Amino acid sequence: MTVSEMLNLMRDPLGAPFYPPALQVLLVITWVLHIFFVTAALGNSLFSIVAFTWKKNDEQWLRLGRLSARLTPNTLGLGIVTGIAPLLFVQTIYDPLWYAANTLTGFWSVSFIFFVMGGYSLAYLFYLKGSKDGRLLFTAVLSFILLCLAGWVMHVLHSVSIRPEQWLKWYMPDGIIDTRGVVFHAYNIPRLVFLLPLQAVLSLSAIIMFASWYLSKRGDDAPFLSWAAELGRKLGLLTSPVYALTGLLWALTEGPEFGVTLAIALPLMILGVLLTAYFARLRQPTNQGPRLLVIWLAGLLVVAVVREVIRAASLARYGYNVADYPYQLDWGSIVVFIATTIVGVVVVLYLSLVIYQANASKEGTVSLRVEQLGKVATGLLGAWFGFFLLMGLYAVFFLR
Amino acid sequence: MYPFWEGLFIHSTLFVAVVSAFHVLASHLTVAAAWFNLYLERRAVKENREELYVYLKRSALGLLVFAYVFGAMAGVGIWQTTTAANPRGISTLIHNFVLFWGSEWYMFLIDVVGIIAYYYTFGRVSKETHLRLAWILALGGTGTLSIIVGILSFKLTPALWLQTGQSLNGFFNTTFWPQIAMRFCFMFPITAAWALFVATGLPRGFYERERIIRDAARFGIIGLFAGVLVWLLWFEPSLPVNAKAILLSRAIPQPTFPVIYFGLLATLAGLLFAYIAPHKQRRLLAVGAMVVMYGAIFGAERIREVLRKPDIIAGYMSSNQLLFNDIPARNIKSEEARLSQTGMLGNLPFVPRADNLAGIASDVTFGYDDPEIVAGRTLAIQQCGSCHSISKQTSIEIAGVSLDLRSLAKLLKMRNLTTAEQIDNYIKAIGGFPYMHPFVGSDAERRALARYLEAFVRSSYPETAEQASLKR
Repeated sequence: MTVSEMLNLMRDPLGAPFYPPALQVLLVITWVLHIFFVTAALGNSLFSIVAFTWKKNDEQWLRLGRLSARLTPNTLGLGIVTGIAPLLFVQTIYDPLWYAANTLTGFWSVSFIFFVMGGYSLAYLFYLKGSKDGRLLFTAVLSFILLCLAGWVMHVLHSVSIRPEQWLKWYMPDGIIDTRGVVFHAYNIPRLVFLLPLQAVLSLSAIIMFASWYLSKRGDDAPFLSWAAELGRKLGLLTSPVYALTGLLWALTEGPEFGVTLAIALPLMILGVLLTAYFARLRQPTNQGPRLLVIWLAGLLVVAVVREVIRAASLARYGYNVADYPYQLDWGSIVVFIATTIVGVVVVLYLSLVIYQANASKEGTVSLRVEQLGKVATGLLGAWFGFFLLMGLYAVFFLR
Repeated sequence: MYPFWEGLFIHSTLFVAVVSAFHVLASHLTVAAAWFNLYLERRAVKENREELYVYLKRSALGLLVFAYVFGAMAGVGIWQTTTAANPRGISTLIHNFVLFWGSEWYMFLIDVVGIIAYYYTFGRVSKETHLRLAWILALGGTGTLSIIVGILSFKLTPALWLQTGQSLNGFFNTTFWPQIAMRFCFMFPITAAWALFVATGLPRGFYERERIIRDAARFGIIGLFAGVLVWLLWFEPSLPVNAKAILLSRAIPQPTFPVIYFGLLATLAGLLFAYIAPHKQRRLLAVGAMVVMYGAIFGAERIREVLRKPDIIAGYMSSNQLLFNDIPARNIKSEEARLSQTGMLGNLPFVPRADNLAGIASDVTFGYDDPEIVAGRTLAIQQCGSCHSISKQTSIEIAGVSLDLRSLAKLLKMRNLTTAEQIDNYIKAIGGFPYMHPFVGSDAERRALARYLEAFVRSSYPETAEQASLKR
């Protein structure tokens, strides 16, 4: 059986319920949000450790370290929630890859969630009990290690998934089937360093500058916020050139295998150089938080596309193409998804505006327009249940 | 077919069970707690009871830290564990319901952003706005529940989907409605335990402390009784005939039922005690109640999983991930029919032909180098490994007791089937059990499987090898 035949046989016979390229776009977009929060969590975790060890005598560092300790579990929580969406889409259009990687690396795939749970619990413990005075620092360190382990596992899963020609060899080393799933079969260190530690610092930089901007709007301590924003800028400026170089290394080590060296090197190096130039020219960083956030998310979108190009190039060697993935439009689930998207976007927008406005001023107020949006959002959410019930009745009594 | 992950120390399926029982506890708590908190907050607004906000804020923080985030993590954990344990099963669900799951994700996003908004705006927004947030949380949580139950219940009763191939038919299936009602009811005892935990943290003599405990206990008792009634009068009668047969069979491992009955009675007793004597409540009691309920949920979820045996998707895919029915509406043909003719080995990815396997003695073949036993192992992995421990890899021994998942060595020994011939005859007959499919493959493959299982039994119970040689 050739690799092409194997991949085709492994595809789910049900096919996708919607145009596969559209699902691919959703995969890329939702991954951007996911990786932003995950790297922000890693960056904040690392920063709080540095603040409470290396910079423990500097009050400004400690103050920012406390904020980072608070943000670590929050961003991690959001990283988990936003991680569910790309997980759905990857399984739909890349099912052979995702499932083969997870079974070949089964033990670590399952351990992943325990690493994340442990990392979150310890990060929260440090925030709650240790971030005031730096007690229980070991919980922060252990949390960081566990989160890095979780990142490592995901990296290995992805690396295994894009090498289908190796799967059988990994499953049957020396002709004996190995069902333990304990071996880390594939990895690429430059890629890992690029995606996790370096992006963690850049996400941290974006978060610090955004937080400085947000807190300055409500009149918090201006000198401190100005210092913090400048620190964020410096972190970005120091990391961006390394980011560009590591991108090149990633291209040189993984690119030739799939024939995409230039397709990796060019966008990643340009991204790194542009970020360097941006941070170098940045003035009054306290005012630039929202802009940097948008720029950084756009940068992550470039990285997401590069990842997708690598995956597509790997699979193209065996004739596997997302555009050719079989599909059958499933109107029932499409209608439910569209309706829930409308409701979900309105409600989440309302909730986000409430959080934003309630904490943007010292007294905490929500504008009349947001209140009106709230009425619409709640009404829509209630109406969704009516819609859901109608769909159910239609399915039970009419759909044959 | 995919590579097979047996598990390590613990069978892969048990990883799923442990993680999903925890997820059920946390996620059900978020839904019912949102309704209970909404009830209290409405009282706080209408009766101008400021003291209730103290409880609500504590409860919200706990829910934010524990239930929502850990519920979410355990939810991802279910993805990871089910993917590793039964990839084609989860693949079927994904390819049918990915857009339903996408919809659930929106509801979940509402839950998570909602609890953050709810907690961080106490005292910072008007009471009416905060009450609206409580409504959104309650509705969002119920939305999440409504969607996931459709996907879960599909596995047991895909119903018309088997003919039409339409996801709506699969989603709104025959056990969807009773299951959603049952879960909604049983959430309230969990919430009562949670409320007990939070309220007992309030200072003694706090004005509303005892009233909250009594309210929570009342909610819990009503939910418990209603849940049992839904089970008896609606859910159980709607089960397929095969599931009802399995419910009474030995496929349900002991002591599942005693654990559930004990859990129900202990929960009822605890809630009655809280209702009658709210002033005597302690945090430890609430923690104990949570532990008891985790045990009961574990048992109940295990039963739900076993009920559809021998299938992972009833009527469509067997537990060993082979399709055994045609679905013309989706151009799907039975794999079992084809493989029964061609044989298994070499005809599916990751189920290699015998000549691709090394015929060398190793631990995984209990020291045998016989190619037939090596091939038999491949078949045991594919045909039996999803529901049974088929090697010592997924068995740990604690205090002399071997913990495994229906180990085939143990089952065969118990039935006194210790030779390849006896085992082969047994395999020929297993299709007659309500919880087993017939063996799929050629006669030679069946004999190879029997040889491997004989080696497994003899390795696990060396005395059987001696008995066999004496018989000869």
